[in-house]
Amino acid sequence: MTTMAVQPGRTESGAHLSRIGCILAFARREFRDAVSSRWFLLYTIAFTVLAVAVSFMSLAGSGSQGFAGFGRTTAGLLNLIMLVVPLMALIAGAGSIAGERERGTLLYVLAQPVSRVEVLLGKYVGLAAALCCSMCIGFGLSAGALAWRAGSVGIGAYVMLIVLTCGLALAMLSVGMLLSVVSRRSGVATGLGLFAWLVLVFLSDLGLMAGTIIFKLRVQEIFALGIANPLQAFKMAVIVNMNASLDVLGPVGMYASQTYGRTLPWLLASVLVIWAIVPLLIALIVFKKRGSI
Amino acid sequence: MTRFLTILYALLAFVGVLTGQPVAAQNQAVDAIHSLIEQAEPGSVVHVPPGVYEGNLVIDKPIILEGGDQAIIDGLGQGSVVEIRAEGCTFRGFLVRNSASGVDREPSGIRVLAGNSTIENNRLEDVLFGIDLQNAPNSKVLNNEILGKDLGLARRGDGLRLWWSLGCTIKGNTVKGLRDMVFWYSEDLDVSDNRVSDSRYGLHFMYSHHTSVHDNNLSENAVGIYLMYSNTIDISHNTIRNNRGVSGYGIGLKDCDSITISSNALLANRVGIYVDNSPSAYDSTGLISDNMVAFNEIGLLATPITHNNIITHNAFLENEEQAAAHGGGNLSLNSFASDGIGNFWSDYAGYDKDGDGIGDIIHEPKSLFRSLIAREPNLRLFVHSPAQQAIELTARALPELNPKPIFVDPTPLTRVPDLTLPSDGQTTTGAPMGVLAVVLLTIACGSGWLVFRQQPFPNVLPTKVSHTIGRGRA
Repeated sequence: MTTMAVQPGRTESGAHLSRIGCILAFARREFRDAVSSRWFLLYTIAFTVLAVAVSFMSLAGSGSQGFAGFGRTTAGLLNLIMLVVPLMALIAGAGSIAGERERGTLLYVLAQPVSRVEVLLGKYVGLAAALCCSMCIGFGLSAGALAWRAGSVGIGAYVMLIVLTCGLALAMLSVGMLLSVVSRRSGVATGLGLFAWLVLVFLSDLGLMAGTIIFKLRVQEIFALGIANPLQAFKMAVIVNMNASLDVLGPVGMYASQTYGRTLPWLLASVLVIWAIVPLLIALIVFKKRGSI
Repeated sequence: MTRFLTILYALLAFVGVLTGQPVAAQNQAVDAIHSLIEQAEPGSVVHVPPGVYEGNLVIDKPIILEGGDQAIIDGLGQGSVVEIRAEGCTFRGFLVRNSASGVDREPSGIRVLAGNSTIENNRLEDVLFGIDLQNAPNSKVLNNEILGKDLGLARRGDGLRLWWSLGCTIKGNTVKGLRDMVFWYSEDLDVSDNRVSDSRYGLHFMYSHHTSVHDNNLSENAVGIYLMYSNTIDISHNTIRNNRGVSGYGIGLKDCDSITISSNALLANRVGIYVDNSPSAYDSTGLISDNMVAFNEIGLLATPITHNNIITHNAFLENEEQAAAHGGGNLSLNSFASDGIGNFWSDYAGYDKDGDGIGDIIHEPKSLFRSLIAREPNLRLFVHSPAQQAIELTARALPELNPKPIFVDPTPLTRVPDLTLPSDGQTTTGAPMGVLAVVLLTIACGSGWLVFRQQPFPNVLPTKVSHTIGRGRA
């Protein structure tokens, strides 16, 4: 890595690319590839259509009275985000390295005077940007619907929802890239991505529910196990941000609100940050150590 | 805030000087007012000159004390600021501030110890209790603004308290940041157009019967209206919004008979209406009709023992849980329709073939997840998650898991009823949200344009993979 660091990449035109420039060049390429791929278009369209539909449905019937329906819109969007965004990010991440490895282009890329760290980080940044743009389109049109039908009630909470959703996407992308690095074939990586999605979205929650009933877990145990899942942390962060309290989530939520108080949003956000950083770090180490391509 | 007001009053005084109005040069003792009262005939109007008066004012003669919105009475943090001891007094147009803060003697801004009093157009600041009426029947408390001390909820006093004061009118008052507007043993009241926010209970009735509560606005409190052991109360046209927290009820009823709750807007509370054993008398009924119950976590929550309530012609709109029994069980002892008219439920999945506005299928919501929550409250952590949907789907797929319905509405409405509700008061422009929409779309399109504008690695990295590059593993 150090040797690569002092020998920056070089383009054919002779211009030196700094390390950051190198990462950005890879990011740009990844962004282009992502945007021109079918999965990206499909997920973006699906997310956008569903987000706008949820916004309209939540506002239907409340318009005549002028009652703001923002809370319901967010609640509806929550379910949608928690299903679609992890799927999108995991599959995008899973395809990144494994796809190139299978096609053989990874060999070609690594033959250039660039370090593996730059390649991986570049891919991460590019995909992250593509995902965030995709969500900006969905949220943007949804905000347009809200502006038209419900005014600007809760705009601050809405902005936070967008930020947190991008955080969730970054965390899931990070997991996806780790899966991609350890898989030899893109099919395997995608399968692993889908499995991770199933585990994070459904199985861990259902398992924790069963555990709560069978083992009579205490609230602090349920809370600790719950926020280990980035999706639960994301959900709680959105609700704290909307209601300033987790009373909605029953005894566990009240315990969290009373124990952590004002630090709770930071605690929940830091869970997302950890999930965004740690798998990516592991992916970097694995990617650097792997001799075979 | 206090500093701002000080500056404001200083400015007012300055304007007064310029226009030649008499303005007290400096603070004087409240005895100046005492001597004015002493000289006045009973029943006459006493105008208090503008200025700051320090100390505790006692009114022991039936007079009309007029502050003209420029007289300030400062209690200097000692005891109650104003105390009215004579019957038939009027106290109007003062700024009353700075009572003691220890809860043991319940110091108030204005304490009224005699009947037929009128407390009107005053502003109270920095007081432990706001206006405290004790044995003061037939009094009027109108258009006062009451702001509390900056204390934790447990150390605050009541914004307004009635104690054994019958036949009073409480109208147009604003209370912010105190404990309750509370009514003890006080009957035949008219409580209207008040606004309570950032407090504990908006309106709190204890053993207070025969009262009309209408057109109040109660928001951001722990509870909007709580009735306890109070009978024959009519609650209508109130706006009750965003009352959350551990209790978090829009309207709560505990052992109350003959209650009517109609035409209220109950929005975004933790629980819209909470009913605990009301009515409690065997032959009494409660009526809940024409309310908009929307966006609450639970629309209607009742203990399973609750019976004899008629719930009709309400709109239950998008509550996370529309109606629930507290601690499991069901609400079958109440009727969710009257004379063939049920309620509107936004989650009703039936149809209306003959188009008469009444669904052709009964509404009996069943939810496996809800019944799981009733059994194990900790599972509420998992609401708003895909896992919850998965459980509901399972219950629908496996009929033997089908949980029992919590209630049955035999004639659900298929359209939101046309309710005469208080105005929402929250009309906002869509402009900021529209700007946000434009910003987001610009970010998306802009970064797309930035990336596609130039070719990365010109002629170095192919975006399309050539087949000549090895397909096998290296």
